[in-house]
Amino acid sequence: MEIIISVRDLVNRFGEQVVHDRLSLDVRRDEILGVVGASGTGKSVLMRSILGLQKPISGSITVLGQKIEYHKPGPSRCWGVLFQGGALLSGLTVQENVELPIALHSNMPVETRHELASLKLLMAGLSLSVADKYPSELSGGMRKRVSLARALALEPKILFLDEPTAGLDPIAATEFDELITYLHDNLDLTIMMITHDVDSLFGICDRIAVLVDGGVVVGTEEEILDSDHPWIKSYFGVPRAKRARAAAG
Amino acid sequence: MAMQSTTFSREMANPFLSVEDQQDRLLVSVRDNWIFDNVLVLEDATASVVPRAGQTVTFQCAGLQDIDIAGAWVLYDRTEQLSELGIKSELTGFKAAHFKFLQHIIDAAAIREQEETLAKPERPKVLRGAVENLGRATSAHIEDLGEIARSILDGVRRPSLLMLRETIKQVYLTGVQAIPVVMVITFLIGIVTAHQAAGQLEKFGASVLVVDLVSISITREMGVLLAAIMVAGRSGSAFAAALGVMKLNEEVDAMRVMGLNPNQMLIIPRIMGLLIALPVLTVFADFAGIAGGALIAVGSMGISGLQFVERVAYSTDLTDFYVGMSKAPVFALLIATVGTLRGMQVKSSAEELGLKTTTAVVQSIFMIIVADALFATLFTRMGI
Repeated sequence: MEIIISVRDLVNRFGEQVVHDRLSLDVRRDEILGVVGASGTGKSVLMRSILGLQKPISGSITVLGQKIEYHKPGPSRCWGVLFQGGALLSGLTVQENVELPIALHSNMPVETRHELASLKLLMAGLSLSVADKYPSELSGGMRKRVSLARALALEPKILFLDEPTAGLDPIAATEFDELITYLHDNLDLTIMMITHDVDSLFGICDRIAVLVDGGVVVGTEEEILDSDHPWIKSYFGVPRAKRARAAAG
Repeated sequence: MAMQSTTFSREMANPFLSVEDQQDRLLVSVRDNWIFDNVLVLEDATASVVPRAGQTVTFQCAGLQDIDIAGAWVLYDRTEQLSELGIKSELTGFKAAHFKFLQHIIDAAAIREQEETLAKPERPKVLRGAVENLGRATSAHIEDLGEIARSILDGVRRPSLLMLRETIKQVYLTGVQAIPVVMVITFLIGIVTAHQAAGQLEKFGASVLVVDLVSISITREMGVLLAAIMVAGRSGSAFAAALGVMKLNEEVDAMRVMGLNPNQMLIIPRIMGLLIALPVLTVFADFAGIAGGALIAVGSMGISGLQFVERVAYSTDLTDFYVGMSKAPVFALLIATVGTLRGMQVKSSAEELGLKTTTAVVQSIFMIIVADALFATLFTRMGI
């Protein structure tokens, strides 16, 4: 099994508060890895460390064989990120937002760029009538889709999703899950997804990584459910998690 | 008869495709990596596939190593272009993995076509649209101003404790914190004025008049003007930026739903704060400016300290001081209103925030100077 992201002995600390204590994690090729954990266990910090947005105290991170260093250009051609709020550039239209990474990383003529960006918007399930709108004119769900289109603009190998379904209604959330599964099945994508949506967790994730006690417990759904750790037991023991699991079969 | 006749065959060398002419069919063998990085080359390569009329183009894709959506799009785009020219083309030899991408493109293209043919909204006439927009913007602007003015009046009539606390904070931020910089600036301008005047007045043997010139010009004009310009740069921009960010973060909306009137809570304390702060700053500015003049007069012109004070008392009376001071509240009102209004106009983007902040500073300084000119004319007419 090819390892796409490898985190070794990661330590992150904010003042006295230890977030990650020698955390090690491997993300395999073509899998959808769901990351869960209580507030403050450093889900976002882990993702930011992998993306080179956060300077860890110690530890090493490799993505696609490339060592990640804080605020140094990483393999930005090979990954796409969907930030929680979408993080679209507010001064650019939807079309320009999606075209931006293409313009930055290629010297394609405007027309080609435009066509490709339109395709990505369609792939993200958007209609082209939104192309000339500004992010502030869109609903939260649409903003996430635009952000996904932007993340897919450069044909990435890895997709990072930070709470992709948070703030979406159940229908939109289910559609978004379906979209991600569809893209994953078709595009040779490795996906790392932070989520608290148990439906997504059981519905679309291949493996689950639970951040506890500064470390991580990784495994398939069954392995995680067999864990004796009290937090994991209580997290997956709540009624909504049980229902979601039953629904996912 | 001879189907495999190679008389017309023509071969082209290209890392991404090779073309074989088979009379009624143009066989294009596609190979290597058809991916995002190669799109430019791929477009050229596919453009070089030029069939004769009546020929069918077959894209043979078995030799393909890797293909992604960008690459698939180039291939698909060429087949579309060819079909527009009335030339049939087919895609064969896909491995399952490759095919998905192309299917993707074709699905997406179908959706797009549907959308494009579906009801395109009628374009409004350009000029009419522009005039309409201008009218709408103007009336919206006036409406905004009206609403803000009304809530300010309401708020002033019924002030709340929250507003008082915020006002005190603003006095500190815009006034107390600005004292050092305003004093340094006017002190330096006092020195500059004294130096300039000394050079000219010495020629007439009227060096002592330097004191008159410095003290009158500082108290009547320079003190308040410099303080106001400094405050416009410091606080006008801060007002616009702070309120703009609050609007972007939906803090303003949050206040509204909690039953707080943001116009009152955010604008009144800033106006009140500046109405208190700027006159106080003006006093400090006046003193610092005259002190700057004194430094030159006493230090390099041989006027004694006592002489200087006497001369200031003789030449400058309270009227001059009041003339300067009377402008301070007007300038304060201008800076605070322009800054807060511009901030409240921020609606959607970070870029807009920067723009409004700049506008706030430029406009308030502009208005300060215009108002100062009006004051000068007015006071001269009144003989003050």
